[in-house]
Amino acid sequence: MFKKILVANRGEIALRVIRACKELGIKTIAIHSEVDANAMHVRAAEERVCVGPADDALSYRNIPNVLSAAEITGAEAIHPGYGFLAENAHFAEVCESIGIKFIGPTSENIAAMGDKAKAREIMARRGIPVLPGSPGELRSEQDALDAAQKIGFPVIIKASAGGGGRGMRVANKEDELVRAFHAAQTEAKATFGNESVYLERYFLEPKHIEVQILADERGRVVFLGERDCSIQRRYQKLVEETPSPVVDDRLRREMGRTAVEAVKAAHYRNAGTVEFLLDKDHHFYFMEVNARIQVEHPVTEMVTGIDLIKEQIRIAAGMPLAYRQQDIQLTGHSFECRINAECPEKFTPCPGVVTRYHPPGGPGVRVDSAMESQAIVVPNYDSLIAKLITHGQNREEAMARMRRALDEFVIEGIKTTIPLHRRIFNDAEFQKGRVSTGFLERFLTNGSS
Amino acid sequence: MKKRVRTDIRQGRAGQNRLPAASADFTTTAEELMLQPDVQKEIQQLVELLKQHNLTELEVERQGLRLRLRRETAPGLPAAVVLESATAGQRAAIQSPATPLKAETPGLMTIRSPIVGTFYRAPSADADPYVEEGDLVKKGQVLCIVEAMKLMNEIESEFDGRIVSILAESTKPVEYGQPLFLIDPTPAS
Repeated sequence: MFKKILVANRGEIALRVIRACKELGIKTIAIHSEVDANAMHVRAAEERVCVGPADDALSYRNIPNVLSAAEITGAEAIHPGYGFLAENAHFAEVCESIGIKFIGPTSENIAAMGDKAKAREIMARRGIPVLPGSPGELRSEQDALDAAQKIGFPVIIKASAGGGGRGMRVANKEDELVRAFHAAQTEAKATFGNESVYLERYFLEPKHIEVQILADERGRVVFLGERDCSIQRRYQKLVEETPSPVVDDRLRREMGRTAVEAVKAAHYRNAGTVEFLLDKDHHFYFMEVNARIQVEHPVTEMVTGIDLIKEQIRIAAGMPLAYRQQDIQLTGHSFECRINAECPEKFTPCPGVVTRYHPPGGPGVRVDSAMESQAIVVPNYDSLIAKLITHGQNREEAMARMRRALDEFVIEGIKTTIPLHRRIFNDAEFQKGRVSTGFLERFLTNGSS
Repeated sequence: MKKRVRTDIRQGRAGQNRLPAASADFTTTAEELMLQPDVQKEIQQLVELLKQHNLTELEVERQGLRLRLRRETAPGLPAAVVLESATAGQRAAIQSPATPLKAETPGLMTIRSPIVGTFYRAPSADADPYVEEGDLVKKGQVLCIVEAMKLMNEIESEFDGRIVSILAESTKPVEYGQPLFLIDPTPAS
């Protein structure tokens, strides 16, 4: 088992990893930028190294400084968290070459799964249902037209190197296709430095269902239930829950086994998430593999009782999985609300000083956050300041706890998305569990669903 | 006072890196000093001292910074500790604990490490250090090496001036922004 781990991240996820390390008796090193010198995650760790100025390209994503910090502190492993360097194949590769264990998948896994078009190809060849789409990259307008005619409209053109909703364009009819193709390429080039795009059938009101997997270094894989992430705004998740209200046991087993199959096809290691699209008829299609621990991992932890970060560390240390598939039990229901420092009307980031911070408590309530009173929300990093997670014996209890917890949560001095979450949890359609990915946009424009 | 510093340096690659120092401030105010993690740690230790010995007030002067800690409530109740700080003189230059500086020293520039690595004062184990205290240096002159991942990075001075103080210890790790040298940009001679 490792003696020292360097946490290459900040905020709530850095604190999360440090907590797991403490419970395992592993010493931790926090890295930080100059503006994070007094951040909670830095104070929580045994050692600290400043790695650069506020700009994360020069600090948290500064590979030489991060690796040098690991070298001077004697770290044996690095946990990258999510974002920053978590899906940087080059970083994972350099770690491998200098003998520092990257806690996550291999650099090949990251590279393969990071190329969305290639990932689909790997799955399609294995017989896993993929979203009807172009076999690979679209090299020309003609490619796009041929693919769209075969698949059927409406279609969506997406960046191969993409994510987070950027580099995507919908074409409802043939005469919209050429413009969508070029627009997607341009945005892909600008956002990801790579204009490669592919094409998929576009579903109007799909549900976004993702399956959590763990794979050890011997190739044993288990799935840990699914998460329903259909509450999204511009492809950014806001609320997640497990289990999904529309997935029954049989569908769960089918999707779980398919996820395991996908992960084995990719020789994937450590924690990961297989994303599916579920259409109105409950057909599911492979979308992509997220080669990292995800923001919403806590809801899976609440229903399984399994600490996913500890499992990541154990797998990286070469230990075999302690669970077989039949040992994974799902109990009760869990929700997560992402509390962002954003103005609720325009969703623009709202940095500032948090004059008062008091998180909720009581049964079935968990808050993952590195926020505190008098802390400054700096504009340099993403706006997530807290994850509010509830668990209950069933969906109704988990929702009631979330409504109560949202009312108790005190965050003053900045604007947050708490009022929006309150409205969502008081919405009738949401309470019935009948929401798809179009829900939130309609909710926001109409004031209700 | 000149000293020979014997250092232990691993062999680096032939390709040296020459780097300018990180943001060198002009001087540091009391508020900025108070935000430094080691000063914060010290403040915490002083708070503990206050509580342990049931004191109501404690005044300390260190590193050109005067701190007064005062308990707001009667002993026995949770203390609200009030911190007052004042610099000795208008401004105080930041420095390492190893080299205490005399009171007022305005106008010094701090050379800070632009990278994370290991600090060396000389190019190799048996060579003389690049600079000693009191040396005059020119802008662009190599002051030290910070080694990172087996690559020897030569750190250059951003100013002409005189080395007043060497703030880092040879063979010890340094982080981004860590103060390495104090330079007087307008030496008397």
